[in-house]
Amino acid sequence: MFRIIKKSLKTGVVTGQYPESERPSEPINPAVTKRAKPFRRSLAIREVDTGSCNACEMEMNALLNPVYDAERFGIHIVASPRHADALVVTGPVTVNMERAMKDVHKQTPDPKIVIALGDCAINCGIFKGSYAVTGPVERHIPVDVRIPGCPPRPAEILEALSELRKERP
Amino acid sequence: MTDSPSPERSIEQQIQTVFPSLIPDYPSGTALARYRTDTHQLPELVRFLHEKMRGRLALLFAVDCRPLEKKCELQYLFAFKSRQPFVLVTTELIGEERLFTSITPSIHAAQWYEREIRDLFGLIPQGHPDLRRLVRHEHWPKGTHPLQKDFSWNHVLERQQGEYRFSHIEGEGVFEVPVGPIHAGIIEPGHFRFSVAGEPIMQLEVRHFWKHRGVEKLFEQLPLIDAVLLAERVSGDTTIGHSLAYCQAVETLLHLNVPRRAKYLRSLFLELERLYNHLGDIGAMCNDTAYALAHAHCGRMKEQVMQLNDRLVGSRFLRGVMQVGGVSWDVDRSQLRNIVQELNGIQKDFSEVGAIIFVNASLTDRLETTGVLTERIAWDHAVTGVVGRASGMDQDVRRDRPFAAYDELPVNVALYRYGDARARLRVRGDEIHESIRLIREIQARIPDGPIAVKPDRSATPGAWAIAAVEGWRGEILYFVMAGTDGRIRRCKVRDPSFANWPAIQWAVLGNIIPDFPLINKSFNLSYAGNDL
Ligand code: SF4
Repeated sequence: MFRIIKKSLKTGVVTGQYPESERPSEPINPAVTKRAKPFRRSLAIREVDTGSCNACEMEMNALLNPVYDAERFGIHIVASPRHADALVVTGPVTVNMERAMKDVHKQTPDPKIVIALGDCAINCGIFKGSYAVTGPVERHIPVDVRIPGCPPRPAEILEALSELRKERP
Repeated sequence: MTDSPSPERSIEQQIQTVFPSLIPDYPSGTALARYRTDTHQLPELVRFLHEKMRGRLALLFAVDCRPLEKKCELQYLFAFKSRQPFVLVTTELIGEERLFTSITPSIHAAQWYEREIRDLFGLIPQGHPDLRRLVRHEHWPKGTHPLQKDFSWNHVLERQQGEYRFSHIEGEGVFEVPVGPIHAGIIEPGHFRFSVAGEPIMQLEVRHFWKHRGVEKLFEQLPLIDAVLLAERVSGDTTIGHSLAYCQAVETLLHLNVPRRAKYLRSLFLELERLYNHLGDIGAMCNDTAYALAHAHCGRMKEQVMQLNDRLVGSRFLRGVMQVGGVSWDVDRSQLRNIVQELNGIQKDFSEVGAIIFVNASLTDRLETTGVLTERIAWDHAVTGVVGRASGMDQDVRRDRPFAAYDELPVNVALYRYGDARARLRVRGDEIHESIRLIREIQARIPDGPIAVKPDRSATPGAWAIAAVEGWRGEILYFVMAGTDGRIRRCKVRDPSFANWPAIQWAVLGNIIPDFPLINKSFNLSYAGNDL
């Protein structure tokens, strides 16, 4: 017990110890910000991987570590699309995942926001055109926010999410 | 388990005694002996290699040789114990011939490979006990075999009706629990079907390939030199492992001599990748036992290494550092010193955290005897990497087939025999210390010099090479065959996950479903690298 406390004290607070995002996030359509209004203080996210290379997932996971600690902004990850306010989709949509992704979208209650995370989700990236890929997320469900990068850094993801939370007159 | 009956005689000599008619040839560049055989002799030969010589079936794949010749080749790659060359057995199916004899009844490890060949090439393994589709889900139209040469890479698939038949267990009180493809956490898609009676799992069926993106076909559209970008994205968390294996295969094809400094830097990057992944895995395993403190500490250290990567090369995943002929980023002396300093800090940090978590009785209780993969089953499935080493399979490409700078950097291989979740945790813990030690060695020994050579010729069409790299998950294999105009004719990718996934179906038996996430995490296999 003593050792645990000692270690925690020695480590101190690490939250926020990351370089600021250098890339300004893309402007968000005002209609989307309006729709996101109820989620300003609490945003429940369901992550759906439709065929990524798993680096984008890893950066989503990094948001939850003590350094980024997205929970301090009221952002949390939920286990089911039925509990979600926003879907974060990563990867090009593969032939095999198309149906599952559409189902998840249908199961998410309105109002909802769809966030395409990473170049693959936005334009299929390097997998564009393949027989096994049916197209970017946009082709199947409406996308509200795009976070480019291969993969985007966690700081950039946070930046884009906080853009969504900003109060606007 | 990898003892051969008479170690003093080489594998070739022993094959010679039993199969006097077979004469090996030795393709230049790759340390392997290749035997060509006909389809009749093949099952006997591979059984001899597997059972008598204790060869592990490392890879099994097909090559469509059209338009040059109207035939398909099947290649069986066997790996033997430390420092022995690979043995590659090749057989061909001429013309319209589509049937080949399945070796799955005698070599269990072949089962997914053969189903994969059937799906992607339309060749049928006769006598295979399970001919359901693997990669192509049921809604793919009949007769679509994407790796056949006359199938175009950007073909638009139609949808048909169809349903996958899971294997059922029937009886009183037996029920099925389907999980996935979309899971509760932030992980990749895959489907797991459990049959349980009461609490214990009686059967698990893994159904994957949801993320099949057609990677191998995409490789065939790319020039040899540029395809590194795609190799980096086969499995994002193994960026260096995959791109390094790919580069090594291409360098063999182009007869490139990579400068020593580049080799050291490659080892450095590979160890950094191992470090951040193992740190993350240990945390995630603890998290699955609801031990949040350890998760937080490990997540913090993992983040520290990833930020270090970012400062070093501008990418948290070390993307863009590997190139054919060497590396594209140099790391100078002062940077190396900083890396070592920071890693020394992390090592101390990790030891302190380790001292807390490894003595935690409730953690030990959850991990011990959970998800046991016996050595026998690990061997039958040709399991590799961390999972194998936790089950007593003493293999590590860094030691057995030194690549990059590992010929000058001897690696101490972590080995445990219990095969439970705790052993897999311990292997990772030991490897973290070992990686940091290796990086210190690299700093001390790295020579000066250029970091890359330019490719000065093109590869002969039809030439091929095989490369193996010990990524953080285990052995990564690439087979690359050159085509015309500096393009790729065929690229076979084998992530360790492909070999290890079927084994998890055995490791969970008798465990309870709530322990499955923990067992799965202790394997931590890639879905992207498996599905391709
Ligand atoms: S955007 Fe890049 S990192 Fe993300 S899934 Fe695609 S290839 Fe991987």
